[in-house]
Amino acid sequence: MTAIEIRNLVKSFGAVKAVDDVTFTVEAGSVTGYLGPNGAGKTTTLRSLLSLVTPDSGEALIHGRRYRDIEAPLAEVGAVLEATSFHPGRTAANHLRGLCIAGRLPVKRAEEALGQVGLADVAGKRVGGFSLGMRQRLALAGAILGRPRVFILDEPANGLDPAGIEWLRGFLRHLAHDQGAAVLVSSHVLSEVEQTVDDVVILARGKLVRQGALDEIVTGDDASVRVRTARAPELADALEAAGATVERVTEDTLRVRGLDSEAIGQLALDRRIVLTEVGQERSDLQKVFLELTEGR
Amino acid sequence: MTALVRAELHKLFTTRLWWIMMIVMILLIGISLGFAIGSAGVESNGLSTPARTSPEWLELAWSAGASGSIFVMILGVIMMTSEYRYQTVTGTFLATPRRTPVIAAKLVAGLIVGALFAVAALLFETVVAIPAVLISGGEVSLTASHIPQISLGILANLALNVLFGIGLGALVRNQIAGVVAAIVWSYAIEGIFSSFPALQPVGKWLPGGAARALMSIDIDTGLGRPDLLPAWAGALVLIAYAVLFAFVASATTVRRDIT
Ligand SMILES: Nc1ncnc2c1ncn2[C@@H]1O[C@H](COP(=O)(O)OP(=O)(O)OP(=O)(O)O)[C@@H](O)[C@H]1O
Ligand SMILES: [Mg+2]
Repeated sequence: MTAIEIRNLVKSFGAVKAVDDVTFTVEAGSVTGYLGPNGAGKTTTLRSLLSLVTPDSGEALIHGRRYRDIEAPLAEVGAVLEATSFHPGRTAANHLRGLCIAGRLPVKRAEEALGQVGLADVAGKRVGGFSLGMRQRLALAGAILGRPRVFILDEPANGLDPAGIEWLRGFLRHLAHDQGAAVLVSSHVLSEVEQTVDDVVILARGKLVRQGALDEIVTGDDASVRVRTARAPELADALEAAGATVERVTEDTLRVRGLDSEAIGQLALDRRIVLTEVGQERSDLQKVFLELTEGR
Repeated sequence: MTALVRAELHKLFTTRLWWIMMIVMILLIGISLGFAIGSAGVESNGLSTPARTSPEWLELAWSAGASGSIFVMILGVIMMTSEYRYQTVTGTFLATPRRTPVIAAKLVAGLIVGALFAVAALLFETVVAIPAVLISGGEVSLTASHIPQISLGILANLALNVLFGIGLGALVRNQIAGVVAAIVWSYAIEGIFSSFPALQPVGKWLPGGAARALMSIDIDTGLGRPDLLPAWAGALVLIAYAVLFAFVASATTVRRDIT
């Protein structure tokens, strides 16, 4: 069964259409990046999925049903929303114990989860003294309390240092690829997710502008191949004769469109031209993202 | 449901607020009792307050426990508004997405905490007021006086005031506004309606008036006998208010978007 399913979701706040007819799914065993500039409607979508916000129309379902209809939600879905949703005067362990009691989980899960996110040492400290990164880890501890199979994370990398971001990436990949969880993670900092996600869904001003596998999106339709050779002009003529579009980047480097690496290599071999470098050019996700969301 | 009530009690008892409130309440009751002890049997304008050895004095002194109501009301306001202030409401509704049971659990936890505060207040009164009577040579007879009924009134009053606080908190959601509203209500509005004889016909229907009716302190303190409902009617009025505030708390929370 589809882990997360958003179908024709619409939600307005007054005159602002925060989410406008968004449809996508997230399958078990994959990490989906939910990307969009500030105010795109990412948080609104995720909160609708968690029954915190009531959509105007459309559906946001987890394993085929609304979050509010799930019997034991903490054991099925782990969510991280804002980093600030803690009482500053309560200790980290007590915060999690409260969730365990309400969610009918064994209270010892609180300590275990704190250990898993590296907060065991500060379990008895008040959250008011925590750094942003520590709060973010505590929020993640809350998400894994019930060992769920679906994760919904709103900008979980906010406030994490480079080591923390690296840890988070590994953690998300582990959840999805080793444990088979479905992970939906929003971000507007693309470099954070680029190395983690399998699929991306790009949103701008409430509308879905692009979705697909990360590889497809960064490769794009006009994929180009970069080729280096000492006999660049000769190869360029041969490639153009074969129907490719060739651009001279430097003295010895060509950018080729319309032929894939294998065809280019074959052509070079036929002409006995030595290639010193052949590589698929990936356009940077950042660039694709800016192009897709600009002016919308 | 019991798990939810336990979760609400856990939330309350894992921050410092509750015992700060309890200490402040005990201090205030202590001041009232001290005043009652000091001013017992004093004559002014030809009227005299009851002497320390009289049963009336103990009843008057005992009713000081009801002044804890403002603190439990504020406690109720904060129980509700801190969920919004610190956004813990998000985690609360993630753990239990069906909101009506959450609100019901909060109200039940509120009743329990209010009752605990009342027990603390009554214990304090026992260790202060009863020795005061005995030292002055008086006798304490619980059965002959109104003390059990006043105690019951204090218990109901404090427990229900937590509910009023929770309802008020759900309505305004802003913590400062909620606390200010609770103070203005208890001291200004209830105060005016209960002290001016012309307004007492209205005041007896307010929660404070109904609570005093429940304690039925029928003693002339020099301002004339207060105009109060019968005790049973006071109890009914208080329960009606509790239901109203519970309804307000759930109606304002169940459909609201948490963003
Ligand atoms: N409670 C609310 N009341 C009014 N407008 C809101 C509310 N919540 C969100 N919006 C509006 O809805 C739109 C989408 O907001 P949302 O928070 O979903 O965006 P986002 O993609 O999460 O942005 P960010 O990257 O800044 O977190 C914005 O225009 C925002 O102003
Ligand atoms: Mg957001």
